[in-house]
Amino acid sequence: MAGDTGTLRRFFRRRRIILFCYVALLPVVALFFYVRIIPIGFSFLLSFYKWNLISPRRPFVGWDNYLGLLEDENFILALKNTSIYSFSTVALSTCIALPLAVFLSRKSRLSAFYQTIYFLPVITPMVPVSIAWKWIYDYNYGILNYGLSLVGLPSVAWLTEPSIALWALVIMGVWKVLGYNMVLFLVGIRNIPAEYLEAASIDGASDWQRFWRITLPLLRPILLYVIVTSTINAFNVFTQVYVMTLGSQSAPGQAVRMLVFDIYTNGFQFFRMGYASAEAVILTLIVLGLTVIQFTLARDKEAKPR
Amino acid sequence: MTQTQIGRRSAMGLAAGAGLAMAAGRKAKAADITLNIWTGYPELVPWYKAMGAEYTKAKGTQINILSTSLREHEQKLAAAVPTGTGPDVFDVGQILGITFIEAGLVKPNPAAVDGLLKSAAYRKSSAEQFTTDGKTYGLPMLFSTPAMFWNKAHFKEAGLDGPPKTFQQKMDYAKKLTKFDATGKMTRSGMSLRLSGQGSGIAEKFRFILEPAGGTLIVPNGKGKFHQGYDNDAGRAALKYYIDAVQIDKVDDPKVQHDAAAFVAGNTSMLMREAWVIGEIKEKAPNLDYGVAPIPAWGSGPHKTLLQHNGLWVNAKSKNIDAAYDFMLFISSKEASVKLTQLSGWVAARADVDWSPLLKDIPQYKEFVSPTDGVQFYPEPVMAAWNEIESRLADRLPGAYIDASLQDPAKLAAFIKAAAAQTDQILKQNDLYGT
Repeated sequence: MAGDTGTLRRFFRRRRIILFCYVALLPVVALFFYVRIIPIGFSFLLSFYKWNLISPRRPFVGWDNYLGLLEDENFILALKNTSIYSFSTVALSTCIALPLAVFLSRKSRLSAFYQTIYFLPVITPMVPVSIAWKWIYDYNYGILNYGLSLVGLPSVAWLTEPSIALWALVIMGVWKVLGYNMVLFLVGIRNIPAEYLEAASIDGASDWQRFWRITLPLLRPILLYVIVTSTINAFNVFTQVYVMTLGSQSAPGQAVRMLVFDIYTNGFQFFRMGYASAEAVILTLIVLGLTVIQFTLARDKEAKPR
Repeated sequence: MTQTQIGRRSAMGLAAGAGLAMAAGRKAKAADITLNIWTGYPELVPWYKAMGAEYTKAKGTQINILSTSLREHEQKLAAAVPTGTGPDVFDVGQILGITFIEAGLVKPNPAAVDGLLKSAAYRKSSAEQFTTDGKTYGLPMLFSTPAMFWNKAHFKEAGLDGPPKTFQQKMDYAKKLTKFDATGKMTRSGMSLRLSGQGSGIAEKFRFILEPAGGTLIVPNGKGKFHQGYDNDAGRAALKYYIDAVQIDKVDDPKVQHDAAAFVAGNTSMLMREAWVIGEIKEKAPNLDYGVAPIPAWGSGPHKTLLQHNGLWVNAKSKNIDAAYDFMLFISSKEASVKLTQLSGWVAARADVDWSPLLKDIPQYKEFVSPTDGVQFYPEPVMAAWNEIESRLADRLPGAYIDASLQDPAKLAAFIKAAAAQTDQILKQNDLYGT
């Protein structure tokens, strides 16, 4: 009987702690619900209406907005451009950041200096950065073409040539995100116990073997995080597209049309909020789908060795 | 039912407003009022501030001015006005203005404003643009028409004695004015066209040539509906003109500097733009020797130019609606109109202003404030879908200008046909299509 009472007391004490945790979390959850979940839900709801943001009339149109997107050349182009941009930016930034992190993880006097240099673009606001890159890419006065001229190469119309403009954005995107990915990898590498690598060295493993067999497998959670967050960020690219297409001396809009830019155009220039919401829902589903795929692939790889 | 109620309420409000405006002791009450003014034209801020200070001195009402970029301004208005958190008075183009009118967020003008708009103070075309279903809404503030800027020094150097009169002549002149370096790279364009970027401005500039050539983006059917008006000889000729300029005659190139910046820097010889460029030149290149001529004609056709108005509107949800209309009238006076042009470079919409002091100082304004006789205006259609119609065409044009395959007339015709079909499609989606 006494044993039963003790068990019961322990159960309630445990429940009380859990309850306290939930209560403590409640304000944050409520805030998250208010600023994230409700707008997402409202966007989903709005995607079934035709609304210009100003008019009180908001007729229900069912799936019309979604069906319209299937025939919308701009949406399809934006989807294609965003996919190319995202996969290129994520692949390049990951592939460059990882060896950089391995290199900078070695004890060196200049390591901290290089880390700061690579991280600077991450903390620089996107609008001034985009304006600076617009100048860097300028055909006549840009420093990039000046550099090419020094080695005898012809000038490149980085922004105004439609077949190049998208890649110009990819280069800038990689430059911007490289430092962030590198720092994450660096943290991961420094958390790998030194004994593992020392043991491998004693066993005669080469630098490459140690990286491939020890560092990379142990970095898998970080790698997954980097790929997932980079993909989400890349699919949401907007500011640089907006700035780079602004004005007469800029990239042709269609060459760099991206999903968020298309959503912005439909929502805030044409005031087709329902249609823009349908586009936003599709973008959310794409990013969600890619994230699930990435997690599933990572989990499968983790499961296999067992 | 609701509309009837709103109509009655607004009529009562306006009547009460008119009574209040005439009532004595209004000045004392006005001292407690603060009016919020939002503008999408940062270059108008010095003028608004000057007018606000004068108004405060005269009436006691305080004036707050908020300025953002035009796009941001439109977005802020779209979100704030319907929710009752918007300004008392705002300026915006009619394309957005009509959306506010349709939503009941801008009410018909009170008698004093209505009377002014219908008087000789404004051109008939201006009054028509601010009339919807027989009622006037808001007041025209800016009268924006493009004209052709030409660099006199470049022309003299090329042995040309004056601006071109036709587009065909313009191309011939541009060939003589364009310069290349030893490597064949263009260093100065003969004419600066809008060839890249995004947004409705690209299609708007395409219309600078399309309309004189005899085409138009949309044609009214007389029953409140529209259809495309450029899948024809004029549309094809306008596009061919651009393609010839870039690919055949090579008088412009997307890679070189463009627009006002290029004209101010002497990197182009001819530019079709609005009066604000004069302000840019005055500030950045005061010694530039330039003239302003009408937009060239197409062959023996008339000179045609785009007419755009930017309006002043009173928010129907303003808590100080009478003071707001009073301020709107105050800044629409003749004196205020002259100051507007002097301080911002934009041309005020009033037609009864004596521009001679301004013209004595800057004669290049003449083509903007009193255009050459015979110049025909084609107005901006007042419909909510207009921005989308222009923007969607604008999406296609930069690619077309540099597409070598469009030198083939059949492919060029197919391009125009597809673009025009999209215009009709947008009209259909907005229930505005009719032949």
